This record gives sequence, C-alpha cells and structure tokens, in this order.
Amino acid sequence: MASASQLASSLNPSASPELVKRAELSEIDASTKLPALFFFGSAILWLLAGTVFALLAAFKMHNPALLGDYEWLTFGRVRTAHLNAVIYGWSVNASFGVAFWLMARLSRAELRHSGMLLIAAAFWNIGVTLGIYGILTGDSTSIEWLEFPSYATPLLFFAYALVGAWTVITFRFGRSKHIYVSQWYILAALFWFPWLYSVAQIMLIFSPARGTVQSLVNWWFAHNVLGLWFTPIGLGAVYYFLPKVLGKPIHSYYLSVLGFWSLAIFYNWAGVHHLIGGPVPVWVQTAGITASFMMVIPVIVTAVNHHLTMVGNSSALKYSPTLRFTVFGAVAYTFTSLQGSSMSIRSWSELTHFTHYTIGHSHAGMYAFFTMVMFGSIYYILPRILLKEWPSAKLISLHFWACALGIIFMVLVLSFAGVKQGIDMNSLPIGADGKPGAPAPFLEIVKNTIPWLKLRSYSGILLTIGHLAFAVNFVWMLLKPRPAGATAPTLFRNGPELEVSR
Amino acid sequence: MSTSPSAPGPESKGHIEQAGASDESIQRVHAILIREKEEPKEGFTPMPLFLLGFISAMIFLGAVYFVHYRGDFDPLVYDYRFDAAAAKAAASAPKELTPEQIIGKGRILYNTCASCHTPSGMGVAGAFPPLAASEWVTGSEERLIRLLIHGLAGPIVVKGLPYNGNMPAFGPGGGYNWNDAKIAQVLTFIRQEWGNTAPPITPEKVAEIRKAESARAKPWSEAELQPFEEP
Repeated sequence: MASASQLASSLNPSASPELVKRAELSEIDASTKLPALFFFGSAILWLLAGTVFALLAAFKMHNPALLGDYEWLTFGRVRTAHLNAVIYGWSVNASFGVAFWLMARLSRAELRHSGMLLIAAAFWNIGVTLGIYGILTGDSTSIEWLEFPSYATPLLFFAYALVGAWTVITFRFGRSKHIYVSQWYILAALFWFPWLYSVAQIMLIFSPARGTVQSLVNWWFAHNVLGLWFTPIGLGAVYYFLPKVLGKPIHSYYLSVLGFWSLAIFYNWAGVHHLIGGPVPVWVQTAGITASFMMVIPVIVTAVNHHLTMVGNSSALKYSPTLRFTVFGAVAYTFTSLQGSSMSIRSWSELTHFTHYTIGHSHAGMYAFFTMVMFGSIYYILPRILLKEWPSAKLISLHFWACALGIIFMVLVLSFAGVKQGIDMNSLPIGADGKPGAPAPFLEIVKNTIPWLKLRSYSGILLTIGHLAFAVNFVWMLLKPRPAGATAPTLFRNGPELEVSR
Repeated sequence: MSTSPSAPGPESKGHIEQAGASDESIQRVHAILIREKEEPKEGFTPMPLFLLGFISAMIFLGAVYFVHYRGDFDPLVYDYRFDAAAAKAAASAPKELTPEQIIGKGRILYNTCASCHTPSGMGVAGAFPPLAASEWVTGSEERLIRLLIHGLAGPIVVKGLPYNGNMPAFGPGGGYNWNDAKIAQVLTFIRQEWGNTAPPITPEKVAEIRKAESARAKPWSEAELQPFEEP
C-alpha cells in the first residue's frame, strides 16, 4: 500500500506535518479494521450472553424455582457462566481490541499480517464458547475465575499468545520515538497476564499445589487478573482518551511514572486479602493488607493526574460520549480502589467479607470502571475504523444513562444489603430486656436480603436496556451504508468549521 | 440518514468526536480524522508537594502496620493475636488433664491390679476382695490412699465376706513406686467404674497422705486402718 502520508507530502510539500500525521493515523486505523471489528463484535455478543446469564442468576437469588428444573440452568452453573462470559468473553475481547488499536496508533505502526489476529480472535472465541458450554454441562473446574474445563484452555492460551506477540511486534516496529504512558500499561499487561494465567493453570489444574497454597495461588491469580490485566488496560485507555478528546497534554509525566510503578510493585501482593482470617500464615495476610493499603498511592496519584488534566474542561462531558464514559470509569476506578483498600482492614473485612458487599465491590470494579471505559473506547474507535458515524446519539445517551444509573444503583443496593447481612451474622440482637439474646437464625438473615436482591435484579434490567441500546447502535452502524466518496482520501481539506474548538 | 438526531445545527458544533450526522460529504467522512485533536502528549508539571508528604506517610504507616502484625514470620502462626511468649509458657506448663483423660490413664494402670482383682472388679472369693460396690473403695479416701501406698497384710472383711491375701505397696519401698499422679488416676478410675460413683481423688491429697505417713515402712492391717474409716 502506498503510504498516504508520503503521497500527502509529495503532492503538497507545504502540507502541515500535522496533516501528514493524520494521514498516517488513517492508514494505521485501516490496518486494524478487521481484527478490531471481530474482537469488538464478539465482545458485544458475549456482553449480551453474559447479561442473560446475569439476569437469570440474579432472579434465581430471590426466586429459586425459576427454571430450576433444567440441570444446565441451575444457579451454580448460570452464575459461573455469567462470570466467565463477561470476563473472558466481553472484557478480554474488548481489551484485546482496545490494546492493539492503541498500541498501533501510539507506536505509529501499521498492524502487519492482521489475518493472524483474525485467527487469534477465532481461537479465543471458540475457546470461550467451549468453556461456557463446559460450565453449563457441569465440567467446571470449580476454581474461581478458572472454571473453564481444561479442554478449553489450550485454545485460549494459543489465541492469547498470538494477540500478545502481535501487539508487542507492533510496538517493536513502531516509528514513534517516545513511549507514551498508555503503552507502558498495555505492554506491561501483555506480559503480566500470561505469567498469571500459566502459573495459575499449572499450580491449580495441571499439577495442583497442596493445602492452603491452592487458595493462595487462586486469589493471587483472581485478584491480579483485575489488577495486572484489566486495570492497566483500562488505565491505558483512560490515559489515551482523556487527553485525546480534550486536546491537551496529560497533566504530569512524573505522576504517570509514579502511578505506573507503584501499581506494578504493590498490586501483586494484594490478592491475599481474600484470605483474611483463613488458615494462611499471618504475615502473608498482613503483607496482603499492607499492599492493599499501599494501593492508595497509585490510585491517588493517578486520580490527581487525571483530575488535573480534566479540570476546567468539564463542559466537554456534555458533547463527547467517549469522554463521558471514560471519565465515569476513571472516577469509578478511584472509588472502587479506595473501597477495596478499606475492605482489607481486618475488622471491616470481618463484617463485609462473604456478604453481598463484596459482590457490589467487584461490580464497581469490573463494570463501573473497566466496562464503562471499554464502552467509551469503542465509541471512539469504531467511527475511525469504519469511517462512519454512530447512527444514533439518542441510543448512546440511553446507553450511558441506563448503565451509569444501573450500576450506581446496583453497587449501592448490594453494599447496603451486605453490611446489613454482616451485622446480622456477626452480632447478637438486643432483646427487650436490653441484653444480647440468641443469634438470629441463618435462614432469617437470608430472608432479610431478599428485598435488596430484588432491587439488584431491577438494576440489572437497567443495565440490560443499556446493553441492548449499545448492540442495536452497533449493528445499525455496521449495516448502514458508508456515505458517498468515503474511499477517496481528501485529507488536505481541513474544514475549520468541523474542528471543534471547545 | 438526515433523521439522525444530531444533524448539523447550531448546537452540533460542540460535538468533539461524535457528530452522528453522516449524510453529508467527503469532508464530513474524513472529518472523523481531521477534527481529531492531536495525539496525546505528556505535560511535565512537577509533583505537588502534598502528594510527596502523603506517599511518605503511607509508606511509614504501612511499614509500622506490617511490622506490628508480622506474626514473627512464623509459617504456623495464623492469627495476629498470637503471642509467642505466652504460647511457649503454655507449652511448658504442666498439662491439666480432663476427667476423661484421667479415667483413661487410670484404666491402663488398672491392668496391674486386674491380675488379682479381675478386670470386672469382682475379685476372687476368699483371696482378693471385689472393688465393685466395695465400701473400702467408695468410702473414705484417707483409708483407700493409705492402703494403696503401703499395702495391706492379713485378713480383711469386704461387703460382709472374709478375704485373706496380700495387697502389695504401690508407694515408696514397694516394687511399683508409683507417683502421686498415677495413684490418684488409678484410684479415681476404680471409684468411678463398675457402677461406683465416688468422687475423684486428687494427686494433692495423695501427696498430703504420703507425707503424713512418711515414717511408715510396713503394710497396714485391717485394724490399723479402722481409725481412717470416717472421711
């Protein structure tokens, strides 16, 4: 392909370097088109599937008889299918697309042989489909976050190796002299995830460690998938889209460095806080709690960096869907991380652990932060690779408000339910004589959560509406014809009236 | 496509990268790229001073917490309330046995006695008196302890029947030389076995009587033990 940037500069030597850069970007975007579409398309399909599983699991919590006669739709399987569909189906597919699109753009390198990424996408999605099928038919390994049966994992590993290698190669052949902060995060995540996944597979499935080491490895893995894979990809996207949409530099390079390295140092230890009070050497627990608390450093540093970039530009939130989703995600990241640190305090963990509070927290992390950032990223990326606009701004608005309100509502409801549940389980009710009486019967406590669980299901319906709006907009965008003349690159024409000044 | 909600209008100027209208022209299509802001860059504002203080404070507090709750880095310590000194003291302190453990130990010691008194505690007519329901066993502990420490020689009447055998001494001078704990255990066992329900005998009581009778060197006779019949 003749380089459009060379063409641009040869046709008009006086073309501004900025325009030449734009032409280059357009080529890079075009090279990522097919694999990115494949990953985003399948991500959205998995999002819908995961939503269906989520709704089923949520309604079964307060209506256990619902579809209870089908073995493969029992709660234990549907809930697990939900987790794996949204993690490996939606979140990882979306993060792959965002990761190599960002990497190609920031490294200023076209994606070579993008057919390989199509193969990777096919393998990944076949692997996830097989895994979900395995879970529904009862082949789950019953190890949290690694439930996929062992016949699915080699496919996933192969697909991951391809995506990881291709993204690193793209970085290697990049023309950019400078390595931008998003690239640090993505590059690090690409190396961290295979480390986590292979160690966990070997020590838990293929040659299981014995005793409590198993649960240690399990939580080290499960928490690090959040902290060393989803968090860096999400933060990488925020670090790109925030300054990109606002058109101003990220506030401080120094803060970026500090935030990145303190995340890298502390997160790895934090997963043990899931085992507080368990039969694990107390110094390991204390190390986990301390690391969870030290996570306040990268979180605050990153939040300050983002906030000071954003400050004075809040009006842009009114216009840009990408910015609105991304900023919502960034704020949720700060909130969730601080909440997570507080949940590692021994006395607070005693109350909230093993209650719905934890479920609320994990949704705040995976949904309010990560998923919202991925939505924002996809809203930005798709018009660039399809050279079409999103068909309906109303649907985008519906998507945002349904998801934003839905997730806030869900986290609030689950947090209240969890604290109530924890208090009921840990304390003796005060009787009429003013003295502590017998503990409340366990079944009574379970019954008390039902109204909250119903509210949670309603919040799930809100999220479903948002996802449907997103999916409809996506399909509509794919089907709608590209406007005439779209193929003729007329990049020299710079319409100042189209340049947004705000 | 002109039905698109964000068709060009005065307010659509504000859209940064999301116009929604797509029915226009070449420019509009490429506007997607053209209107993009430049690729992000990093500013180099120095770190605010309060952050430096905050991070230092976090590291300090984290270190203090970690050292305080380190559990001596002992792989067997699972609870931060673990106190190594107290645990050591508890481990070396004499163990307090439960009543069940005392009976259990007494049952083993009784194997020595069972050769004469029989495992069922019924004894042998004329030679070895029974222990089950015997007033000598369930009665005065003063008498019973003395009998065991120094033994008994000559005839004896138990439950109204005469016996004439030799009870060896289990205290000093005899072949057994059991300590206070063993004597207390075996006596507690026979006082609570075969339907007997007498209270247990403590090692302290045995020690007390051993001291009181330290001058004695020969076995008791039935007559000599009579004064101790009343507890």
